[in-house]
Amino acid sequence: MLPMMLALVILLPLMAAIGCYFLRVSTIRSMIVLVTGVCIAVTSLVLLGQGSFTYSPSTLLGISWDSLVTLADFSLLFVILYYAFKLKNQLIKVFAVLQIIPLAVFELFFVDHAAEVPAFYADSLALIMVAVISIIGSLICFFAIPYMKEHEEHLHLVNSRQPRFFFYLVLFLGAMNGLVLSNNILWLYFFFEVTTFCSFMLIAHDDTEIAVKNATRALWMNSLGGVAFVFGMIWAYTEVGSLSLQTIIEAGPMGGAMLVPIGLLCLAGFTKAAQLPFQSWLLGAMVAPTPVSALLHSSTMVKAGVYIVLRLAPAYAGTFLSEGIALCGAFTFLACAAIAISQSNGKKVLAYSTISNLGLIICCAGLNTPWAITAAIILIIFHAGSKALLFLCVGTIEHGIGSRDIDDMHGLYLKMPRTAIITIIGVLTMILPPFGVLLGKWMAIEAASGDIFVIVMLALGSALSLVFWARWAGILLTAPLRDKVPAEIQSPLTKFTLTALAAGTVILSLFSPVIYTGLIEPMIGKTYEITAGVFSSPVGVFAVYPIFFILAAAFVYAWIETKKSGNIQNAQSYMCGANVKEPGVQAFIGPMNQPVTLKASNYYLKSFFGEEKLTLWINFVALALIVLMLGGAL
Amino acid sequence: METIILMIFGVVVAPILGGLISGVDRKVTARLQSRFGPPILQPFYDVAKLFGKVKVINNFWQVFCAWVYLIAAALSVALLFAQSDLLLIFFVQAIGAVFLVMGGLASSSPYSQVGAQRELIQVLTYEPLIILVFASIFMVTGSFRIDEILAYDQPLLVKLPLMFIVLGYALTIKLRKSPFDFSTSHHAHQELVKGVLTEFSGPYLGIIELAHWYETVFILGICALFWHTSLVGVVLLLASTYFAEILIDNTMSRMTWRWMLKYVWSVGLVMSFVNLIWLHVG
Repeated sequence: MLPMMLALVILLPLMAAIGCYFLRVSTIRSMIVLVTGVCIAVTSLVLLGQGSFTYSPSTLLGISWDSLVTLADFSLLFVILYYAFKLKNQLIKVFAVLQIIPLAVFELFFVDHAAEVPAFYADSLALIMVAVISIIGSLICFFAIPYMKEHEEHLHLVNSRQPRFFFYLVLFLGAMNGLVLSNNILWLYFFFEVTTFCSFMLIAHDDTEIAVKNATRALWMNSLGGVAFVFGMIWAYTEVGSLSLQTIIEAGPMGGAMLVPIGLLCLAGFTKAAQLPFQSWLLGAMVAPTPVSALLHSSTMVKAGVYIVLRLAPAYAGTFLSEGIALCGAFTFLACAAIAISQSNGKKVLAYSTISNLGLIICCAGLNTPWAITAAIILIIFHAGSKALLFLCVGTIEHGIGSRDIDDMHGLYLKMPRTAIITIIGVLTMILPPFGVLLGKWMAIEAASGDIFVIVMLALGSALSLVFWARWAGILLTAPLRDKVPAEIQSPLTKFTLTALAAGTVILSLFSPVIYTGLIEPMIGKTYEITAGVFSSPVGVFAVYPIFFILAAAFVYAWIETKKSGNIQNAQSYMCGANVKEPGVQAFIGPMNQPVTLKASNYYLKSFFGEEKLTLWINFVALALIVLMLGGAL
Repeated sequence: METIILMIFGVVVAPILGGLISGVDRKVTARLQSRFGPPILQPFYDVAKLFGKVKVINNFWQVFCAWVYLIAAALSVALLFAQSDLLLIFFVQAIGAVFLVMGGLASSSPYSQVGAQRELIQVLTYEPLIILVFASIFMVTGSFRIDEILAYDQPLLVKLPLMFIVLGYALTIKLRKSPFDFSTSHHAHQELVKGVLTEFSGPYLGIIELAHWYETVFILGICALFWHTSLVGVVLLLASTYFAEILIDNTMSRMTWRWMLKYVWSVGLVMSFVNLIWLHVG
C-alpha cells in the first residue's frame, strides 16, 4: 500500500505533467489536472493518517532507483547548463559547473554505493508538508485552469502555451512531495534541483524581456543554493559517512567541523526561502502568472527552504549556528515587514510579507526549543493557506479591475463584493487571533522572549505587518453607501478554490488544538497542555475555542446590526460643508466653483521604509549576519 | 466558573470606571485651564445622548466595524480580569484597533481616510513598545500569565522602572493625548473634523466612545501590574500616572507622525535595552 501511495504523490504528478504536455486539448488537460489534484490531496491525507514510516523502493526493471536518480540528476544539471549558455549568463554557467564536477567526483570516488540508505523517511513534519503541498498546491492548480484561459485571452496568443505551463506546474507538486519525503540526501538534492528548474521555467513563462530577466536571476540565485548544498552534502558525508539525512541529524547536536556543512545546507535553504539578501529572486517571480506566484509563495519552493532549515534543527541545537539562524530569520522578519509598508503593488506587499513570515519560521528553527519548533510548524501550515488565498485573490482582482495596485482597490467592495470579502478574510487570518498564523506568532514571541535581540526584532516586525494588512483590508471597503451592490460573477472553479481556501483557513484555525495534539505533539514532545481548546504552558495561555466562539458570535451580531442599518439615513461624507449636492456624487466645490472629485491615497511612509532607501543597507546587514552565522560555526 | 464571573465583572465595571476616569480627566483639565469644567458624570450624559440620536451613516461597514471594535475591546478587558495571557490579551485588543481603522477607511471622506492612516501609525508606534513591556515582565517573573505574575512577590516597578516609562509613552498614544493625538483629538475645533472618527455619528460614535473607555481601563490595568503587591500602591501609581498624562496633554502641542515615530521608537528602544540589560546583569 505504502509504495502505491508514494507513487501517487510523487510519480503521478510526473505522469500527469507529461499528459498535460502531450494531450493538447484543454478539456482533457483540465480533467487530468483535476483528477491528479484530487488523487494526491486524498493520498496525502491518508498518508497523514497512517503516520511515520521509513521505506526504500526496490528496483525498477532491474535498475536501482539510486542510479535512476543519479542519471536524472546529471541530465537536469546539463539542461541547466544548456540554459546557462542559451541565456549567456556567466554566473549560472559557473554555478552549474561547480555542481556537476564535485557531484561527479563525489559519486565516482567517495560514495559507498553498496551501503543501504533508506530512500524515504517521513515523520509528522514531512507528512504535514506533503498535505500542505498536495492540498493547497492542487487548489492552486485548479484555480489556474480558468485563470490561464483568461490570461491567454488577455495576451492574445495564437498558440496556447498552457501545455508547457501545466507541465511544470503539476511536476512541481511531485518534486516538492519527493523533496520533503526524501531521506537519501542525494535524492533530496535531486528534487531540490527540480524545484529550482521548475520555478525558472514558470517565472519565464510569459517570455517577455522582464520575465526572462527575472527567471534568470531566480536560476542563478537558486543555483548558488545548489552549490552550497553540494558542498555541504559532500562535507557532511566525509564527516558522518552516510547519505542518510536521519543519520546526519542524529550525529548531532555537534560542534566544530560538522557545523559548517550543516550551515551550508541551511544556506541552501536560505536561498530557496528567499531570505535576505536573496530576496530579489522571489520579488522578481511576481512577473509570472498569479498561480505561479501563489504556488511559489505558499506551498512549494520557499517552503522547501524553510523545511530544510527546520529539518536540520536538531543537528545544530544549542550551537552558535542556531543563534545565528535565529538572528538572520528575525532580521528578515523585521526588514521585509518594514519594506512591505512602503509598497503599493499588491503582489509586492504579499511577496515581502511572505519573505518576512518565512524569516519568522527560520527564526523559530534557530531558537530551537520545542516551543519554537511547534511555532514553526503551525506557521508553515497556516501561512500556506492564507498566502495562497491572498495571491489568488490578487490574481482575481487583477483580472477584474486590470490593476494590482492597492490604491486602485479603493472601494473594491462595490465592484467585486465576493472577492473583496474573501480578500479581507484572508488578510484578517494573517494578523488576528484566534487564527493560526497569529497563534504561531504568539508561540514564536513567547519562545523568543528570553532573547533580547530577537524579541525586539519580533516586536517591531509584528507591529509593522499589522499596518500594511489593516490598511489593505480597510480600503477594500471604502465606498459611499449604495442601496444594492451588484452580485459578482466568478467562474465556478475560481469560486470554488477561493471559497474552499477561505473556509479552510478559518475552519482549520478552529482545529489548531487538534492539529497540535494529533500531529505536532507526538513528534516533538509535549510543550502545551490542551484543555477545552486552550493552549497553556507555565509561561502562557492561548484560548483558541473561547475566543473563536466569542468572536464568531460577535461577527454574527455585528452583521445583524449592519443588516438592520439598511434602512437608516444615508449621509454624504463630511467635506467642510462644501459638498456637491447631487445624489451619488462624491465631490466638493473647489476653487473657481469647480467640483473636485474625492481622492484619497495611502500613507506609504516612504521616507522611513522606502524600498530603494532600505534595500542596500538591509542586504549589507543580512550578508554580515550570514557571514557571522557561518563564521561563528567554524 | 470563577474566571467567568471575573470576566463578566470586568465587562460590566470597566465602562463605568472608564467613564468616570474620562469625567475626572475633563474636570482636572478644565481646572488646569482655569475653567470650571463639566460635572464628573458628563461623559455618561454625552454617551446617553449619542445613543438617542438619529442613526446616520456613510457606508454600512462602519456599523459592522464599530460593533467589532467595541466587542474586541470588551473581550480584552474580560481576559485581563480573567488573568489570562498578556500577549493574547494584547492581540485581542489589536482586533479592535484594526476594525476601528477599517471603519475609518470605509468612508471615502478624506478626513476619515487620513485619520485612519494616522491611527495606524499610532498603532505602529505603540505596539512594539507594549510587546517589549510584556517581554520584560516575562523576564522578571518568568511568565506571560497574569495569574503567575500576580504571584510574584515584589512590585515590578522596582525592577522595571524604565519599562514603566516606556509603557507611559504607549499609554499616551493609546489614549490619544497630546503630543500624540493626531488621529483624533479632544480639542474644540477638531470636534467637527475628528480624524478617524469624522464619519461616525450618533449611536455609532457612542459605541466607539464606550470602546475607548474599555481601552482606558485595559491600559491602566496593565500599568497596575507594576505595583500589584499592594492596593494602595496600585491606586497611587494609577492616580499619579493618569495625572501625569493630563499634565502632558495640557502642556504639549501636537507633533507630526514623523516626529512621533522617530522619537518614541528611539527613546522607547533605548530605554528598553538599558532596562533589559541591567536586568540581565543584576
